[in-house]
Amino acid sequence: MLQTSQTASRRHAVVSETRHLLFTVTPGAAWIIVFLVLPSVYLMAVAFMTNGPYGLPQLPLSLNSFEQLAGVGFLGWSPGNLYTLLRSLWQTIVATGLVVLVAYPIAYYITTCRARWRPIMLLLVVVPSWTNQVIRTFGWMNLLAPGTPLSNLAEILGLISPNMGLYPSNFAVTLGLVYNFLPFMVLPLYAAFEKLDTAQVEAAQDLYAKPVRAFWNAVFPQTLPGLLAGVVLVAIPAFGMYVIPELLGGGKAMMLGNLVATQFSGGSNWPLGAAGAILMLIATFIGLFAMRRIGKRLGGGEEVVI
Amino acid sequence: MSKHTKTAAAVAFCSLLLGTGAQAAEEKLYLFNWTEYMDPEIITAFEQKYDVEVVQNYYNSLPEMFAKLNAGGASQYDIIVPSNYYVPRLIKTGLVQKLDHSKIPNLANVKAQFQDPSFDPGSEYSAPYQWGTTGMVYNTETFPDAPNSWSLMFDPKVNPDYPFAIMGDGQVAIGAACGALGKPYDCDTLDSWRDAAKLMIETKSRDNFSGFTDGTPALQQLARGVTHVGMSYNGDYLYFKGEDPEAFEHLAFAIPDEGAEMWVDSMMIPSGAPHPDLAHKFINFILDAKIGAQLSNYNYYASPNAAAEPYLEEALRQPPAQPTDEEMKVLRFTPSLEGEKLQTFQQLWSEVQAR
Amino acid sequence: MRKRTLKRSSLRRALTAFWWLTLIFLYLPLAVVVLFSFNASNSAASMTGLSLRWYHQLLGNEQIMAAFGNTLILALCSSVIALVIGCLIGYGMYRHRHRKLGWLIVLIYLPIVLPDIVFGISEMAFFVQFHRLTGLLQPGLGTMVIAHVTFQIPFVALIVYSRFVGLDPTLFEAAKDLYATPAKRVVHFMLPTIKPALISAFFLSFTLSVDDFVISFFTAGPESATLPIYIWGAIKKGVSPEINAIATLMIGAVAMAAAISLLFNRKRQS
Repeated sequence: MLQTSQTASRRHAVVSETRHLLFTVTPGAAWIIVFLVLPSVYLMAVAFMTNGPYGLPQLPLSLNSFEQLAGVGFLGWSPGNLYTLLRSLWQTIVATGLVVLVAYPIAYYITTCRARWRPIMLLLVVVPSWTNQVIRTFGWMNLLAPGTPLSNLAEILGLISPNMGLYPSNFAVTLGLVYNFLPFMVLPLYAAFEKLDTAQVEAAQDLYAKPVRAFWNAVFPQTLPGLLAGVVLVAIPAFGMYVIPELLGGGKAMMLGNLVATQFSGGSNWPLGAAGAILMLIATFIGLFAMRRIGKRLGGGEEVVI
Repeated sequence: MSKHTKTAAAVAFCSLLLGTGAQAAEEKLYLFNWTEYMDPEIITAFEQKYDVEVVQNYYNSLPEMFAKLNAGGASQYDIIVPSNYYVPRLIKTGLVQKLDHSKIPNLANVKAQFQDPSFDPGSEYSAPYQWGTTGMVYNTETFPDAPNSWSLMFDPKVNPDYPFAIMGDGQVAIGAACGALGKPYDCDTLDSWRDAAKLMIETKSRDNFSGFTDGTPALQQLARGVTHVGMSYNGDYLYFKGEDPEAFEHLAFAIPDEGAEMWVDSMMIPSGAPHPDLAHKFINFILDAKIGAQLSNYNYYASPNAAAEPYLEEALRQPPAQPTDEEMKVLRFTPSLEGEKLQTFQQLWSEVQAR
Repeated sequence: MRKRTLKRSSLRRALTAFWWLTLIFLYLPLAVVVLFSFNASNSAASMTGLSLRWYHQLLGNEQIMAAFGNTLILALCSSVIALVIGCLIGYGMYRHRHRKLGWLIVLIYLPIVLPDIVFGISEMAFFVQFHRLTGLLQPGLGTMVIAHVTFQIPFVALIVYSRFVGLDPTLFEAAKDLYATPAKRVVHFMLPTIKPALISAFFLSFTLSVDDFVISFFTAGPESATLPIYIWGAIKKGVSPEINAIATLMIGAVAMAAAISLLFNRKRQS
């Protein structure tokens, strides 16, 4: 008698728990499914449709858009899209590398400062990224245009041809990317440095005569999870960047994000744009997956998942 | 309970905020027009006459306009103002509706040559707004002996190191490149496109190519010295020159000898326009003799309105607002493309962009 | 030993110099925008004198004022909705953290990892198709609110979740004894305990909304341009010095937010 009532109440508890779970989770999950998963699935479907005469998707289903993305068109194969893809990759790699080079010493420096200053210093690094991306990029347009002091200096140094500014150019895009993503790298690196095991570092300092070796053997491995998290946070959005190449590149520095966007905002080819979006998604997930695998092997798995 | 009420309150709050805009009973006209293309006083006059509100949105290029219409705009705007070569495309895609001529008595004011245009026989779908040309604007201080030719942009020997911008609309840009190759502006054979695209890719890789810029912003770049040659419209050139004579003192507008674009911008009503009646009233209003003249006097474009003629200012009777007879011989409409030809062109152009 | 400290101090000096250089790099573009907003002439290359004329023009510009209003409405509405939904999901994730909720985690991370441009274009394509079929969801503030809530929910959920995780589990037992009904528990216990998380989640959502351009751009309608969209249009049309003035006001707002968060932090620390 007692037992049955116990199982009944337990069953009752399970039911009410499940109801609770559904009540709390359903609205959010449904929202994301209806307004993000479904649209993404629709976009993917568009990639497998045929481009209509005026740029809108049509039946029948086909792989035309992927062929076009690979450069196959009415006129045979042409390398334009490949250039764009390689340019995106190149920009992402260079910008991420530069961001690491700047962020690493900065994050270290912040941890060496007095504890009461650290939040302020972090805030100082992060605040510019609170302003709108368009505004930040506009600031660089002002700074790098022809005739500005920076451009004149570059001209005197012979870095650019006369009368041209530093913007628009591929260089301006790289600079814009570095500027935009620096805080995303500083924060996880700072977290890693803060947790640094100083005893281990000191032991290494005694062990190795050269500080460089001490650094590579004791410090660097400990900051690696933070570094990887930063790379994910920087590289993925940089690869799909739209605003910066559009404003600072001047038509010479098209990246994958622009290729995708023009198919919709220039009204020419929705299926091709959708195919580009799929490519971007694949790159994103490969990036995430790879980072996670490496992160797990290093034993810092938790942080790497952003 | 409190979470329910909170959700309900949030929803109510938001619908209140969102609703206030939509519920204002006053009728609105949604005008989707080129930037810097409308006298604000004409808008005010229309608003007062019909007791409505005009909501204006702007585009810088036709591809941009076309994309917005495709992305839901066809049921959100009441009036659009595309150029001739986009008119057939809009009709074929069903993005626009036929005009009810009985509601536009002022159509009679339109000059004979604009009454029955090749791009829209019988003006079934469109009524002319303004017409003008797309030429080259350059700095006369930088180029005191500039040749009257597209080579100022496309030939590295003529312009080795001054920055220049090319128009972002592919068809106009390729037309100019055709001109630079000694072909007519309205070239439309595959071979000439290919050559033009090749030239374009070479030009793009030159150090002093500063980017693709639409007509109105190109003038701002020239005025600020960012570029020294660019492509823009005759009326915009005159308009901004009037606004800022100092910055435009050394800028000249030219129709290159090889040929350039002449266009007619037309008012059309999107297929799903929320206020088609009001849209007809607006078209009729613009075609009024005095309003038509006021419009041209404001934005310095030639008027397709015969009845407006007596009220036009002197500047509109001479070049560059009114091209010379010589220039008229080399001015061409941009070809309207459709079907496979359009797709071929778009592939060529996206190749140029992607390089 | 002496040598090492010497070396250290020179390294430190180099780092300090690098720190200041980086700060200059970070703030120079913003400083230029602020400086030129007070420029007397319409020149992007040289300052000719100080004036407030662009700010005056700003106040007279109806479109900018409308864009300002839209920005605020959008940020407020989306943040409130995201707060409610995200809060629920955050609590659900905490309460049922022992179950297998992998699919939910993936779902929640999706809006964060999806590139902006793919996000914006999917929504646009979807809304257009949906509108064609049903006549509902015409592009405008409504669709923008939906899109913004979608990318705000995960952040709210994660903040609320981590706040719950940081709490002592026995507190929940105590609350169960103290308050009879779940509703009372929510009002008198849960909401007050997670209040700091709610506040910071709300501010983060708000900032994310104001900061977004790409997704807004693709989901906007004729009457729903926000400030970033207006600025984008103005840049595309040829630079107008008014942009500097609007941008300066937005930068000012951010600076204020930074100052407030700093004070907040200080208070908590002391």
